[in-house]
Amino acid sequence: MTQTQTRPETGEAVLPATALDRRPSFVARNRTVLLGLLGAFVVLLAWQLSVWAELVDPKFSSSPFGAVEGLKYLNDSGLLWQPTLDTLQSVGLGMLISMAIGIPLGLVIGRSVVLHGLLEPLIGIMYSVPFVVFLPIIIFWFGIDGTARLVIVVWSALFPLLINVISGARNLDGNYLQVSRVFCAGPLRTLWSVALPGTMPYILAGLRQAVGRALVGAIVAELFMGTSGLGYVVQTETANFQLDHSMAAIAVIAVIAVVLTRGVAWLENRLTFWSASVG
Amino acid sequence: MAGSGGRDRAVKLAVRDVRIGYRERRNGRFFAAVQNLSFEIKDNEFIAIVGPSGCGKTTFLSAVAGLIEIASGSLELNGHAIQGPGPDRSLVFQQHSLFPWRTVTANVGFGLEAQGRLDEHGRRRVSDLIELVGLNGKEGKYPRELSGGMSQRVNLARALATDPDLLLLDEPFAALDAQTREVMQEELTRVWQADSASGGKTALFITHDVPEAVYLADRVLVFSASPGRLVESVDIDLPRPRDPGVKRSKEFAELNDHVLGLVMQQAAISRGGAR
Repeated sequence: MTQTQTRPETGEAVLPATALDRRPSFVARNRTVLLGLLGAFVVLLAWQLSVWAELVDPKFSSSPFGAVEGLKYLNDSGLLWQPTLDTLQSVGLGMLISMAIGIPLGLVIGRSVVLHGLLEPLIGIMYSVPFVVFLPIIIFWFGIDGTARLVIVVWSALFPLLINVISGARNLDGNYLQVSRVFCAGPLRTLWSVALPGTMPYILAGLRQAVGRALVGAIVAELFMGTSGLGYVVQTETANFQLDHSMAAIAVIAVIAVVLTRGVAWLENRLTFWSASVG
Repeated sequence: MAGSGGRDRAVKLAVRDVRIGYRERRNGRFFAAVQNLSFEIKDNEFIAIVGPSGCGKTTFLSAVAGLIEIASGSLELNGHAIQGPGPDRSLVFQQHSLFPWRTVTANVGFGLEAQGRLDEHGRRRVSDLIELVGLNGKEGKYPRELSGGMSQRVNLARALATDPDLLLLDEPFAALDAQTREVMQEELTRVWQADSASGGKTALFITHDVPEAVYLADRVLVFSASPGRLVESVDIDLPRPRDPGVKRSKEFAELNDHVLGLVMQQAAISRGGAR
């Protein structure tokens, strides 16, 4: 190898580098994904094998194949698409409300020393206390209809978003604000053109956390006070000892969770490509 | 456009008995960064301010930009007291002031956009300036894709875009490596001479690099050690347009030595005071 690498200025022949180029194999390129799939496959196989070997009772444990049949059952009996839509609707609506409140409020609190001093401890406490403990109180206030479910989702999603936006606004580079002042940008222009894009990495990190918690909030609300949604399906099917159906519904929830967090990660790449520190 | 030929020109910036400082938070004592500062800048003059570090030159520039208030005295631009930032001034920042989420074009256009002037004419001005500072083909690049020298070209173009009456430059080349700095000094003289038909805008340039000041300016103001005041105003009678060759001339060396001597003297005082 070292023999063939000669300096260009000496005029000696250099072996064309393309001769040594080799496209990485399919396995090397997709190693992470393949290992993840393999791990899932091994666990599912062990599960199915222990059912077939009658080590566990499928009435209690369900099984991968049973869950696939359960999915068919849910689809045939109208317990798949409508509940999924219901759950997605609470998550989506809750996220919209959380963003509409959290992003502007976070920017304002983060830029105001007084507001930050007043509210930061409260927001920190609200973020730390598990939101499910407020469930009975929220039921007491709002009943068990759609409004109450939405309140739970917003309650769970708002605080991680708010905390991230506040810290983003506080860490906003002073140079950017000075540029804005020197060129006589008004407060609204500064907020829209400087503060908002400047905190975008933090906003999206907050959204990533918030969307996960919103899904938890929606499912918890459906489990305890729902009349629809995937959480309600899991609740009722388990109560009827239909573990296969429950497992199928849980698998759908898992897919939703992955799609939502991956979606926000994709958005992060799209919107904050300019930031070197995107993790 | 000889440097000292501006005796009959209108006064652009009048500085009279200016004192700038801040009150210490703990004991309320006033600390002056600039004191008893008086001088005038004529229309179309290129002024460089040099002085030992900590002499309040950047503080003074911030006051002219309208970012901080003066404690006493008067600071007048075109006969009107400076109260806050205005579209008649723009500032070339030291570094890290480009918006990383904006392309080169959008960064250059920011000032016009903020002042509601990014119309057809404004957009043409932006693309003209990008060409003038030599960034053709880089219009769609983002700041992280630019070198330090290119970033400062964008910074300069952004400041020129609003067509300010007075251009303020706060050590714009301090963070660049020596070669890039030389190139940028040349570029600045070229751009400054090319941008306006009247032979350059009025400019106020802060630096701690004495040869840079002598090469660029019509007049070099030497600031004293802290609190800053004017020690001497040195006319730079080198002919324009200047090329880098002028730095090897005898006149340049003499002016450079003179200014450097003044700055070193002040630096010695400021070291003595600190001891």
